Amino acid sequence: MFKYNVVQVLLFLMLIFTGIDCQRAKDKMYENIKTSAACFRKMNATHQTGCTSAPSGSTGVVHVIESQKDLNFLLENGTAPPYIPIMPVSLFRHEIMHVLKNSNKISGLIVFKQNFSSLTHYTHDLKCPNELSNIEGTCKHQWNEYGTGLLFEDYPFPIFYLDNDSYVQKIVDCFKKFNDFDYSSQYERSLCSLELTSFMFATTDTPTCMRRSNSKNNLNPVKFCDPMGDKNVFASLFPLENTTDSTDKKYIVVASRMDTTSFFNDVYPGAINPVTSLVTLLSTANLLKKMLPENNNFDKNVLFVVFSGETYDYIGSQRMVYDMQQGVFPVPFDASVQNPVPQIRLEDIGLYVELNQLSKAKEIVAHTLIEDRELANFVTMLRNYNPNVNLKFSKGLLPPCSLHSFLKEKPDFRGLVLTDHQIGYSNHFYNSIYDTVENIDYYYYNVTPENTSNIPKDSIQAYVANISTMISKALYESVTGNKYNNSNLYADIVLVDELFSCYLTNPNCKVHKAIQKNEFAEEPLSLYVGVPVAPNLIRSLIGLTLGWLTGNVYELKDNKTCTNDPKTPAFQYFHMSKSLQDLNNTVCYQTTMNFSEAVSPAFIIPDYDWRSGKYSSWTESTWRDFNVRMYLQPSPAHEKFTIALGSITFILSLILIYFVKSRSNILFPAPPPECAPTNC
Amino acid sequence: MDLAKMSHPNKLCLCKWYFKAGFALLPFLWAINSIWFFKEAFYKPPFEEQKDIKKFVVLSAVGTLVWIIIVIGWVLTFQLNRAKWGEFADDISFIIPLGRP
Repeated sequence: MFKYNVVQVLLFLMLIFTGIDCQRAKDKMYENIKTSAACFRKMNATHQTGCTSAPSGSTGVVHVIESQKDLNFLLENGTAPPYIPIMPVSLFRHEIMHVLKNSNKISGLIVFKQNFSSLTHYTHDLKCPNELSNIEGTCKHQWNEYGTGLLFEDYPFPIFYLDNDSYVQKIVDCFKKFNDFDYSSQYERSLCSLELTSFMFATTDTPTCMRRSNSKNNLNPVKFCDPMGDKNVFASLFPLENTTDSTDKKYIVVASRMDTTSFFNDVYPGAINPVTSLVTLLSTANLLKKMLPENNNFDKNVLFVVFSGETYDYIGSQRMVYDMQQGVFPVPFDASVQNPVPQIRLEDIGLYVELNQLSKAKEIVAHTLIEDRELANFVTMLRNYNPNVNLKFSKGLLPPCSLHSFLKEKPDFRGLVLTDHQIGYSNHFYNSIYDTVENIDYYYYNVTPENTSNIPKDSIQAYVANISTMISKALYESVTGNKYNNSNLYADIVLVDELFSCYLTNPNCKVHKAIQKNEFAEEPLSLYVGVPVAPNLIRSLIGLTLGWLTGNVYELKDNKTCTNDPKTPAFQYFHMSKSLQDLNNTVCYQTTMNFSEAVSPAFIIPDYDWRSGKYSSWTESTWRDFNVRMYLQPSPAHEKFTIALGSITFILSLILIYFVKSRSNILFPAPPPECAPTNC
Repeated sequence: MDLAKMSHPNKLCLCKWYFKAGFALLPFLWAINSIWFFKEAFYKPPFEEQKDIKKFVVLSAVGTLVWIIIVIGWVLTFQLNRAKWGEFADDISFIIPLGRP
């Protein structure tokens, strides 16, 4: 009885001292750093680009780098490799990255945020973006002058981006406390270390990983990579009607893009590219719809198109051109459908106007590749409608843009691109984590139609509204053949202000509330094209917005409902708010908006020859998770002591067991004599 | 089966049968045969069938060795050339490792 009490008391005491603190050993050892901004692997027909960690994470000793000198010091004097340097983004440059890549002392890298104002340029796309998909000869100029091309290189170690100052401070503090002294004896000490996990499943190139993903012999089928792509958004000004004469050129295409990229997952701000041009397109669509609410037997129609995946060798536009050539655009012909829509072919496009990067600049430049009188006429029209804008006309040299996909298939295709630059991009942060609101000086004014004067005349909103007014009027003249005379009609600056906030700061903006009912997290939605298996929110929202701005209010009378009945591919019906100022009052909209596939033709053509390089071949590797954690790596002496202790215990226990077994007759009574089997 | 309880002719019969069956591309049978009957062939006091058992044990061991060389040679060739062989290597793989060329 007494013994039992002692055990009880002991157990109780144990609970007091140990049971209350029930943190797991793993959590005591590691400090988790929450970030998903990792560099990941993408592949094209011939190469792999991006980063990967070792299968179970790459580990290394922390070292803070503030200049190239610090890096050289580390590489020369570091005695405890491998290291994981942590450095500000300004050091994320070509020459430093090459030193890191070629050093065998580095096992990972962390890059942390700096103020926008401390940078003059930051872009890791190529000097001529989409170089291999552009028309030959157009890459003579360095369009993206500061482009380092780092986005398209392969790194043997994981790279993460940290924009949270408190985490950066934690790492720096840990570095100072344990690592930052007496480097010659560093290898003898306990050191602050990091583990970066971003293991990529796919390797080599797209043909390899696609083949392996579809392998039938694989006992454990794994998807190694997915083709990049999503869906294009398009809408026509007038409903697409089935007219019989298809020889006449009858479409004016107004296009822009919706995607951007950057070095790090989930950080895709894309303010100049693509948001400025996207907002200009939406504002133009809105104004043109006000100018031309009805089709009065015009022989031209306007098609607004927003391409997806253009950053990766024009995925969206290549696919649209391919679909047009196959005769399946906008939808494959289906005889059973009551009201079919006409097929749109390349020959049906009479004029193509692309908007590409329209930030506040001294001039707007209309680029064309071919000499053409109608293109020149259109530029003259643009000039006439806004003599205040300095509009230059540049012939023969085309910047990287979706028009290349069209010109490649039809060299006399009549198209022009409106941009903010003549030769070098005025955007010095093209496709980077710094193409943010600060890059376009955007400030949300939250105005109503009554106080639009709150928006300064030199703001990006006023600039975009001005340009879209000019484009709308020129389009009006192209469609109707008459000059536009109502000089009081301007693009809706309230809408422009709202649209910028939708894409750059707050996805729960008024426009998104007007077109649908979902609530989003309070951070900008990703403008990266991604893979078709993951739903792309921003594309759906852009589609609904374009539908809303170009749609007609549909009277719900005579038992009509807001559905597609009788069914026709020409229309889609949505309940949406009546206006930005009257969000709660919803009506039914009949819209001509629709989506078309934006997955490269390379992935749908059977037995496509990957070496031909004709179509975009980008794929994205799959991965399990992104993870960063910090821990204290024990000193080698400590490690050796632990393993020695373990080994000695193991050997001693073996000896003990041997003796116990050989003398087991002392411990256990001898077994009774066995009965011998009778027959064997 | 306990060899100690078997008669000598039965042992020979079993050893011979294992050796023959090994020709049906069953190298493990040879490996087992050579280990299992090793003591019978070389350590046990001589008996009539021992000479034949010895023969089969040695032949099985040689067969095992040849197989080991073939298998190791193939594994090395395949692992070293898997990336180079491309599509062919993937087609003859049952497990494709993640994140390797």
